[in-house]
Amino acid sequence: MKKLVVLLSVLALMLAAVAVVSTAAPINVTYWTAPNPTQEVFWRDLAEKFNASQDEINVYVTAMVETPTSESTITNAIAGGKAPASSGNIFPGFGATLVNSEALVALDTLPGWDELVQKRAMGEIVEGWKFADGHVYILPIYANAMLFGWRIDILKELGFNEPPTTYSGIMDVGAALKAEYPDKFLMARDALINPTWWQRWFDFFMLYDAASDGQPFVTGSKVTANDEAVIAVFQFYGDLKANDYLLTQKATSPFETGLAVWRDLGPWSFPGWKENWPELVLNETFVTAPPPLPDDVTLAAGAQPKTFADAKGLVVYAQRSAEEQAAIWEFIKWVFTDPINDRAWVDATGMLPMRGDLTTNATFAKVFENNPALKGYADEMAYAVPAMANDKFADIQTALGEEGLIPVILGKKTPEQGWADAKAAIEAILAR
Amino acid sequence: MKRTRWIEVRGWSLTSPYLIFTLIFFIIPLIWGIVLLFTNWNLISPHRDFVGFANFIEALKSPKVHAAFFTTYKVMAIFIPTVLTSSLAIALLINSIPRLKGLISVGFFLPYLVSGVAVALVVNGVLSYNSPLSPMFRRLFGCVPDWFGNSTLAVMVISLMITWKLSGYYALIFLSGLSSIPKELYEAADIDGAGWWTKLFKITIPMLYPALYTVIILAVGLMFGIFTEPYMLTGGGPDLATHTWVLEIYYQAFSSMRAGYASMIALINATVTFISIIIIRKIMEGWGKRHGWT
Repeated sequence: MKKLVVLLSVLALMLAAVAVVSTAAPINVTYWTAPNPTQEVFWRDLAEKFNASQDEINVYVTAMVETPTSESTITNAIAGGKAPASSGNIFPGFGATLVNSEALVALDTLPGWDELVQKRAMGEIVEGWKFADGHVYILPIYANAMLFGWRIDILKELGFNEPPTTYSGIMDVGAALKAEYPDKFLMARDALINPTWWQRWFDFFMLYDAASDGQPFVTGSKVTANDEAVIAVFQFYGDLKANDYLLTQKATSPFETGLAVWRDLGPWSFPGWKENWPELVLNETFVTAPPPLPDDVTLAAGAQPKTFADAKGLVVYAQRSAEEQAAIWEFIKWVFTDPINDRAWVDATGMLPMRGDLTTNATFAKVFENNPALKGYADEMAYAVPAMANDKFADIQTALGEEGLIPVILGKKTPEQGWADAKAAIEAILAR
Repeated sequence: MKRTRWIEVRGWSLTSPYLIFTLIFFIIPLIWGIVLLFTNWNLISPHRDFVGFANFIEALKSPKVHAAFFTTYKVMAIFIPTVLTSSLAIALLINSIPRLKGLISVGFFLPYLVSGVAVALVVNGVLSYNSPLSPMFRRLFGCVPDWFGNSTLAVMVISLMITWKLSGYYALIFLSGLSSIPKELYEAADIDGAGWWTKLFKITIPMLYPALYTVIILAVGLMFGIFTEPYMLTGGGPDLATHTWVLEIYYQAFSSMRAGYASMIALINATVTFISIIIIRKIMEGWGKRHGWT
């Protein structure tokens, strides 16, 4: 009997030990990063440091598959019940699809949100990321306020010491360029006649956001675009093509080779230029500038034209358990409450973190010393307009190209007719 | 009785891998696709509405579906004659070579194995405005043709890319057909004084009927699944001139997140493919009958 009691006691102790061990086991959570080697390295490095700093949570970082797109990979994962705890690379339009599908956690309901917003100086920024229900579902990580690049070396040869700021100024540069170099173009962009939806971010929306002072293109299920601004942008591109200033054929590195003197330019181009086009030097061969404006649009003193921002953030998925959501949130807070990590982000990716103190926080001073070209992007951050937060973003932007911009550029429609047709098509999409 | 049962069990066991494969990758997706046809589901939302035939009506009215329908036949009109001519020419060439037939056949087959994405990138570079070939185009045409901005040229380029990729593969099918034509037929024709062209049209092509039949059915079927080339080079433009069925299904499913509507387009695509192949089969069988094939 004694032996049995001892045996049972030992068994009970062993079971208790197992239970203690299992309750002490860390929670494993997965974070999906964009399929970009630099971002992957950044997140893996931080996850390792975070995992080493405590025992309760283990964060695994995996690059999401981008075949066919990162959005479809996330969709498939949710559909299959295999969503990660959190992922990056989410832009507002896709975020709207996820929010409407009840797939995301409202981040502003999680503990420590206010502290995170305050420490990252994002108070004003997150206002623009609120969805229709007033909640924030995407934590903005980075924004590339898009600028235009100009071949200032060629412009100077033509007698222009600064890039033009108005549509008529650009036409003057075009005329001078054609007179001097008939084979060169102001802009070479074959994507202008490609209906793929996201191309519109980098041609139409850059100019539209400037011309309309950032007036929302769509609000809820209504087209709220500034008609005059849309028509002005259509007219401008149509005029560029009609005057042979715009090349819509495919061309290899047209800006870099000097075939074209003007292009949309994101900061992600600079690392590649450093390696492959060392002759492209800021203020010597090229400069960056905000989008030009229609001649009849004037800005308030000291203001800059608005522009499209290629902005993305991270989300927490509702599909995971509350315990996993809390665990990944701890990691996210740990990363973004320390500006050193945002500094590491710029160093690793060359893209600017979305924080309000970028130009005033001493942590980032060295960034601009080492990469002077990024300063222009940081200055433009306050004037950056993110992509539309509408779940029909792809259809809307495809219709904008197919019914409006592309036929106008090809001379098949007038700007007014193009916009009337595009607007009707977009309204039909929104009513669906 | 026991033996019969054992034979049955063995038969089912041996066929089970294929049956399981078919069940998982064909039957279940097919049933699921049919369910999706009548919904507006985006695959992730907890809400899914039954929309009846709304997807069907929208697809029938859609200019993009119409464009996909016509693009397929436009590409087919260029692709079928060019691929038949080139693959038959390759097969005849290889067949006339006394040695190293296998090695040379593999050489022609290689384009079939090359990634469509890689080919598209090369074509993109070669036909770009400032490619090393552009001075030649300027001399020939007085300008660099707008290969992807002109509807006709864009369709032509895509058709020829697919022709290049598949000629070697189809040539292998023709080559096996050529090897089964009795030599006596050519000897008899030689005695009758028939020339090379006469022998080609009166003996070789009619005798290649089974291979020709296979190649044409394969080629027609392939036309309804074109994706990589327009996706990489034109995005379906200009003016939907290169917009294909699979491109539309892809955009609807993965950009617009409209799984139900994409399934409906896929079903219409499958129906059109089926009808087209039936028609081509009838035409081919009629031609075969006239040449003594039953």
